[in-house]
Amino acid sequence: MIKLFDYILSVNCYKQRLIMSILDVPFESVPVDFYPGREHKSEEFKKINPLGHIPVIDDDGFMLRDAHAILIYLASKYDPTGLWYPIGSPEFLGETAQWMLFAEGTTNTASAARLHVNLGYDFDIESCRSGAHQLFRVLEEHLWFREQEDLDWVCSSEHPTVADIAIFPDVILSEEGGISRLDYPAIRRWTDRVKRIPRFTVMPGIFPAGDAR
Amino acid sequence: MNLWHPIASAEDLPYRHIFQGQLLGRELAVWRADDDFVNIWENRCLHRGVRLSIGRNEGFELKCQYHGWRYANRSASCTYIPAHPADAPVRTICNRTFSVCERYGLIWSGEDPTGDPPEVPLLEKARTLPLRSIAVNAPLNLVLEHLANYRFSLAGDPGNLAVTSANYLDQRSLSVTATFDSKQSTVLFFVQPVDSNRSVIRGVLSSSPTDSERILTLRHHSTELSRLREKVELEALKAPQIQPMTPTIEQVPVTSYEIKTPSSGRNASLRVQVLRKWVTAEGIVGLELESIGKPLPTPQPGAHIDVHLPNGLVRQYSLTNAPGQGSRYRLGVKLESDSRGGSSCLHETVKEGDVLAISEPRNNFSLRRDAVKTILVAGGIGVTPLLSMAHTLRNNKLDYELHYFAQTDGHLAFPEILQELGDAVAPHLGLSPEATSKELAALLVGYKPAMHVYVCGPGPMLEAARRIASEVGWPDAAVHFEYFKNTIEIDSSSSFEVSLARSALTLEIPSGKTILEILRANGITLMSSCEQGACGTCEVTVIEGDPEHQDVYLNDSEKAAGQRIMTCVSRAKSPRLVLDI
Amino acid sequence: MRSQADRDVCTNGAILDLWHPVVPASEIEVGIVRQVVLLGQAVSYSSTAPGVYLAWRTDPAIPAGTVFMPSAVTENLPVLHRYGYLWTSLGDPSQSLFEIPEYDEPDRRNIHAATIGVYCSAPRAVENFLDLGHFPYVHTGVLGIEPHTEVVEYDVHVDPKNNELWATNCHFFQPMAAATSTTGKMVGYDFRVPHPYCSLLYKTSPLDSSRMDAIGLFVRSVAPDYIEASMFLSLLDDSSSDSFIRQFQQLIFAQDKPILENQNPKLLPLDPRAETPVRSDKLAIAYRRWLSDLGVTYGVIPKT
Repeated sequence: MIKLFDYILSVNCYKQRLIMSILDVPFESVPVDFYPGREHKSEEFKKINPLGHIPVIDDDGFMLRDAHAILIYLASKYDPTGLWYPIGSPEFLGETAQWMLFAEGTTNTASAARLHVNLGYDFDIESCRSGAHQLFRVLEEHLWFREQEDLDWVCSSEHPTVADIAIFPDVILSEEGGISRLDYPAIRRWTDRVKRIPRFTVMPGIFPAGDAR
Repeated sequence: MNLWHPIASAEDLPYRHIFQGQLLGRELAVWRADDDFVNIWENRCLHRGVRLSIGRNEGFELKCQYHGWRYANRSASCTYIPAHPADAPVRTICNRTFSVCERYGLIWSGEDPTGDPPEVPLLEKARTLPLRSIAVNAPLNLVLEHLANYRFSLAGDPGNLAVTSANYLDQRSLSVTATFDSKQSTVLFFVQPVDSNRSVIRGVLSSSPTDSERILTLRHHSTELSRLREKVELEALKAPQIQPMTPTIEQVPVTSYEIKTPSSGRNASLRVQVLRKWVTAEGIVGLELESIGKPLPTPQPGAHIDVHLPNGLVRQYSLTNAPGQGSRYRLGVKLESDSRGGSSCLHETVKEGDVLAISEPRNNFSLRRDAVKTILVAGGIGVTPLLSMAHTLRNNKLDYELHYFAQTDGHLAFPEILQELGDAVAPHLGLSPEATSKELAALLVGYKPAMHVYVCGPGPMLEAARRIASEVGWPDAAVHFEYFKNTIEIDSSSSFEVSLARSALTLEIPSGKTILEILRANGITLMSSCEQGACGTCEVTVIEGDPEHQDVYLNDSEKAAGQRIMTCVSRAKSPRLVLDI
Repeated sequence: MRSQADRDVCTNGAILDLWHPVVPASEIEVGIVRQVVLLGQAVSYSSTAPGVYLAWRTDPAIPAGTVFMPSAVTENLPVLHRYGYLWTSLGDPSQSLFEIPEYDEPDRRNIHAATIGVYCSAPRAVENFLDLGHFPYVHTGVLGIEPHTEVVEYDVHVDPKNNELWATNCHFFQPMAAATSTTGKMVGYDFRVPHPYCSLLYKTSPLDSSRMDAIGLFVRSVAPDYIEASMFLSLLDDSSSDSFIRQFQQLIFAQDKPILENQNPKLLPLDPRAETPVRSDKLAIAYRRWLSDLGVTYGVIPKT
């Protein structure tokens, strides 16, 4: 069974819990005392990941770190449809990579602001916030135009990809960092759609959407 | 302040979604119900101020995320408080609503708007195209100034921006027309004042381009308006800081902690018109009543109204509507063979177009939404309150069964509704009393904790159902019933005293007079409805003394506890009763 | 951190004269100056030896992160080391800090779970901590589950000895770990408010039904509408690791956070006509009245 080195309030760990729930992949959550224990920075943990970060997975001996790398691995290995990480199509694959890199941006802005507020991390919160708004404006326009073409996800495929999973948690928890989503109606509709993906699961701070009509 | 403002695009309101908006500093929760009605409410749950926009749009009700309070479509009144599943919420718990109008692909609202939203002849005729809305961190006037100089290209080609001319329509909208060669294109800009330093540009193109050019055109305007936004925001930053607007939050009309709304007599405060009357089953007519004047209050499932008939009689009828579903009241009326003029009047005399006086709904037969399974048992016309319950349970995806006992298939009322409810409905037709009892025993077997049963029908059937439920293990508190009539022979021969704890008054109730009558004659205000001990409206709390129950509303445990009394028929065994009024 | 605007500085004697939590003692480094904001004012603290703590109103000449020189501090604030936290007061703390007898019991595990920042007022956070009705909606499958939503009648009283507010005989349906709606049981709770910004709840211990586990919420109000809330537990639990217990508490609190941050107005209104209580809000109503009676004006909208 896959072991996930996990922390309940980490968005990057949540991305793995989310994809594994959607793909119905059983896993064992190994809690890491991220806060206040700072266990991820301990000598013991650095044997698992020398960079001292979570998440890390151990799939029957195969170890992998870095949230987006893990998403790619899990989707490639456990998605029989091949749509979550669409290696079959160079265009979709390119888009997926592009938007996963966009998610690095939202992590460094929106999620950083959240960590600053929640756990006192030392980040320049104002620049995190304005950075997040700049990215959200781009995402808003992008998703609005997707809707104009009857498409529901960040990539132009008809099926969601790991790019949606990568961006979603940073966006949905943005208000914890003081970043309001009042100006982004298309993003808010997209978050409802993500929540309605079958076997979607929450993390603390997220409420499930009701059923679609 | 008295203007209509655009607050959203029509496409911002898909089903089962709640849109968070803001106008003049006030946050709004905007949602489209499953019947397409657009609700615009203050974005604050009345309970403890949590934003309604983080709750759930469940189709006909909005569910607050904090404690699960439900608010009905259209009326915004609270229809269910999960912490108190057995009690109907007080009607005064009602969110603040704002006017709504859909026009030009936009949703319009206002603090207290007068007249109509703006009419723009140019947008009335042709096929219009709403542009992507652009949120700007700048005050409305600054945005308008810049929009007056907005330039765009007809071909969607940014290198070829046309000459434009602007024309103000009013203090927050303008049209911008671009001319190129002999062609023209006009955009109408309506700017929404979100706050003192925030606005939304909502543009509508007066004539939609061909399908192949649609996306190109939308992208072009999106890009050009984004550029405009950058300029506006830069300028806004240089201006002195403006304080955000602080809208007033109204006080709650009255605290609902342990409150009974005072009212006297059988009031008929609403006027309705009979919109439709039809034969829905053998001996049963359906009536659809529509309000003349203000919108009808949302009934809770199981509620009934008093109908004041043209011949002077007053009769009670259950509403078959579920909360939030539609703005009309739907009733079913059975022609009683021994009608004293009530049902016969409705069957024979009342016709479509007639105006009737009715009371506000009374919620004495309320539905719990916390059962693991609910069994509804209907006998004949007793199906009416159970239909509203069935719909509510279905809308809330709660497990239930509706067992409908009737003479024949042709006696089943509202067949179209029954069909909608599908497999959850089980008809039981043409059964003798013995066979009915057998059926009841079969469907009531298997009680588990947190199951509830609701029964409504003729007296003998209710008696049988209550007895059988008890025999197969249902506790009193899980069996709920409503009698339409009280067939007990009322014995009003006793005389006794009644002492009013809060009014420091002691009154004598002589033989032949009811507690209700005497209290009213002495200036005490008390509500009533059926006045025959069936509906529960005239209930009062007993502090001391031994009531003599002659009603059919309280169950056996409640009667034994002796703390409640129906003042319209019940009397006293002891010489004196002390009442909590 | 937030700028210390004038409006954030507390002038409310009823609050200033109390003890307030500063930081968990485990996070204090010997010989290094650190700083927090309490009631709108910067407060610095440090330690000369394990267990020996000092606090003072921040002096720009003694910046955070520098080596601590005790002689540099001209005027100390009163300090207490209790329940694993450093407490101080910006006024005259004539009353002693409230007692938690469970803390000193030899078989107790006393754990600091986390300190989390929230954009809400301290009274809003405390009032939420005292509420059962939200369990099925906010802590779904953990502390409550639909359709078991009923809040049955409970008792509220003020202890005349020390003016602490209590709710007793509270019960709520808690699902089993498997989180299905059919398996679960009624759990008993008591609630205690010994301080306007601190609260404790007591739950029957699964290991010994004659004793209670205690969970505490100790709030440091940074500004009227921003707090740093610390979660404290005093348990009989034997088997779970510290890490597991901490993450569980953090999970619960993080589920409450979006609710607290979406409440308006941020300051708790003490006027009974500002919001709509129902019978199950008996404790919340009593808390608001209790705050009014104490003369609290910071973090609330006082009655007019």
